[in-house]
Amino acid sequence: MNLRIETIRECLDGVIPGLIATCDGEGVPNLAYLSQVQFVDNQHVALSYQFFNRTRQNILVNARVRLLTTNPLTAAQYVLTLEYLHTETSGPLFEQMKAKLAGIASHTGMAGVFHLRGADIYRILGIEQLPGPTLTPPPPSLNYLTALRRSTNRLATCASLTSLLDTALDCLESEFALHHVMLLMHDEGRGRLYTLASRGYPESGVGSEIPFGAGVIGICAREKTPIRIGFMTKEYAYGRAIRDSAAADGMADALETAIPLPGLPEARSQLAVPIVAHDRLLGVLYLESVADLHFGYDDEDALVAFAAHLGMAIHYHQQVEELAEELPANDHGKVESSGQPLLVRYFAGSDSIFLDDDYLIKGVAGAILWALLSDFVARRRTSFTNKGLRLDSRIRLPGVSDNLEARLVLLQRRLAERGAGIHLHKTGRGRFALAVDQPLQLLDG
Amino acid sequence: MLDADNAAFIQTSVSISLATCGVDHLPNLMRAVGCKLLDGGRRVGIFLNATLAPALLADIRTNRRVACVFCLPSSNRTLQLKGEDAEVLPFDPADLPLIAEHLADFVVEVAPEGVPESVVRTLFAYRPDALVMVAFSPCAAFSQTPGPRAGQSIGGTP
Repeated sequence: MNLRIETIRECLDGVIPGLIATCDGEGVPNLAYLSQVQFVDNQHVALSYQFFNRTRQNILVNARVRLLTTNPLTAAQYVLTLEYLHTETSGPLFEQMKAKLAGIASHTGMAGVFHLRGADIYRILGIEQLPGPTLTPPPPSLNYLTALRRSTNRLATCASLTSLLDTALDCLESEFALHHVMLLMHDEGRGRLYTLASRGYPESGVGSEIPFGAGVIGICAREKTPIRIGFMTKEYAYGRAIRDSAAADGMADALETAIPLPGLPEARSQLAVPIVAHDRLLGVLYLESVADLHFGYDDEDALVAFAAHLGMAIHYHQQVEELAEELPANDHGKVESSGQPLLVRYFAGSDSIFLDDDYLIKGVAGAILWALLSDFVARRRTSFTNKGLRLDSRIRLPGVSDNLEARLVLLQRRLAERGAGIHLHKTGRGRFALAVDQPLQLLDG
Repeated sequence: MLDADNAAFIQTSVSISLATCGVDHLPNLMRAVGCKLLDGGRRVGIFLNATLAPALLADIRTNRRVACVFCLPSSNRTLQLKGEDAEVLPFDPADLPLIAEHLADFVVEVAPEGVPESVVRTLFAYRPDALVMVAFSPCAAFSQTPGPRAGQSIGGTP
C-alpha cells in the first residue's frame, strides 16, 4: 500500500534530520543531510536549495532521488522515492521555506550560513515504511477537527464585528489552547497592518503597526500564505522589522511606534496565518509560543481553516454595517456638564490626536475622531453613521477596501484603554454614538 | 585517505548512514548502527541491519560503490567517504560491544536535541543475527560540514 505524505508530515519538520541520496551520471552515489523538507501536497514535497553542491549537481543529471525521513515520536522510518521537477525562487512556498530555514539555521548555529537559494519541487513517486519496531505515539494534545467545529459554530453566532473579534480570540484560547494571539488588520492604503485585538500580553497593543512585508506577520500578509517558524530567529523578529521600517519612513506617514507591538520577548515558535475573504487580504492572525516546534502542520491547517471562516465573517459584518440605512441625527447622547476641560490636539499632517499632551492615535482613526469631536463641539452632535463617515471629505477614506468598521473598533478600543472620558458605542447597525464626560477644548495644530 | 583526525572522528558518537546506486541509477540508503577501522585504518567497516536494506546490499554486490556519511549532531561536523570496492561481509559477534557502546554514546549525543533514548533505541534496534558488515577502502573524502567549505574534497578523487 502506498502511504500518503499528508499522514506522515510530522517526519518532515527536521527534529531528526532527513537524508537525501542521489547518483551522478556514472552511477556514483552521494549522501547528504537535509535542512528542510516541506510538504506541498500529496503528490509533491519541496527541498531547500542552499548550496550548489554534489546533491544539486546530481539531481540536474539524474532527477530520481531517495529520502530517508524519521518520525521523531515513533522512530518509524520512511523512504521516499522522488523525482526533481523544478526550482522556485520566489512566491509563497519559497517564503514559507525561507522563514522556516531561518529558524532552523538559528537553532543549529548556522545563522548567516544557511541561505535559501530556491525551493526544489519534487514529485513523490513512492513512500515505503521500513520494517522494524516503532513506539506508540502519545495522544495528541487536542482534536483539531473538534476545535474547528466548535469555533466556527461560535463565530456564526456573533452579532457584530466587536463580538466576532472577542469570540475569535476566546476560541483560540479555549478550543485551541493558544495563549498568545494577535489579530492585525490590513491597511491597504498605507501598506501596513495594525493590531485590532490581542490576548496573552501585559498590554493589548491595539493600534500598534507592522509594515507590510516585514517579519513573520508582514511576509504572511504580502504572500497571503501561512508562515510557520519552529525555532527562535532574530532574522524574523518583528521588533527589528519595525525599527528598520520606522528608520526608513518619512515623517508624514511614519509607522506607528508610540504604541508598542505586543509580543513575547522570547518567542521560539511563530505562526502567522492570513485572513482572506474573496481573495482580498483582510488581516493576519498571529500566534506564538515560548516552546520550540510548538506549531505543526495540523495546527497550520486548522488555523488556516479557522482564519478562512473568520475572514468571511469579518467581511460579512463590515458589509452589514455599510449597508445599514442612515437615520436622522437625534443627537441625544451624553453631553458634559462640568469639570476641567480636556485638551484635544490634532496634527493634520499625520492625523495625530493627543489628549492633554498624551498621544492617542493617528492615521484614518485619528481623522475620524477629529471629525467626530469637531461636530460635537460645533453642533453638540453625538449620533453618527458609517455611511456618513464614508462621505465625509475630512476623513479621506482610501476606498471601499478601507475596513471602516474595523477602524471604528480600533478607535473605540484605544479610547477605552486610555480612559480619557471619550467613549464610542454602537447604537445599531452602521450607527454609533459619541459620549464625552468632560468639556473639550480642541486645538488644531 | 583517512587521516588520524577523521579516523578518530568516525569512531565518536556520530550518526552513520550509507548510500548506494542501483542498476537503474536509483539510489538506496539506510542508517548504520556503528563502524570500525580495518586493516590499520585503510578500510572502514560499517555495521548494518540487513533486514532493512536488501536493495542496498544488492547494489553493493553488483557495483561495489558506496557513499558513507558521518555526522556529529552537536557540532554539525560532517564527513562523507566514498568507496568503490565495498563488500558485504558476515558480522563478527565479537564486535557487538562496539555497537552497544556507539549507541549508548549516541543516546547521550542527541538527548540535548530533544530526541529521547526510547526513540534512539527503537530507531537502531537490531537482532545480532541480522547484522552484516560492509567494508570498503575510502577512495575520496569530503567535508560536508555546512558552510562555505561544504563539499570540499579533503582527499582522493572527487
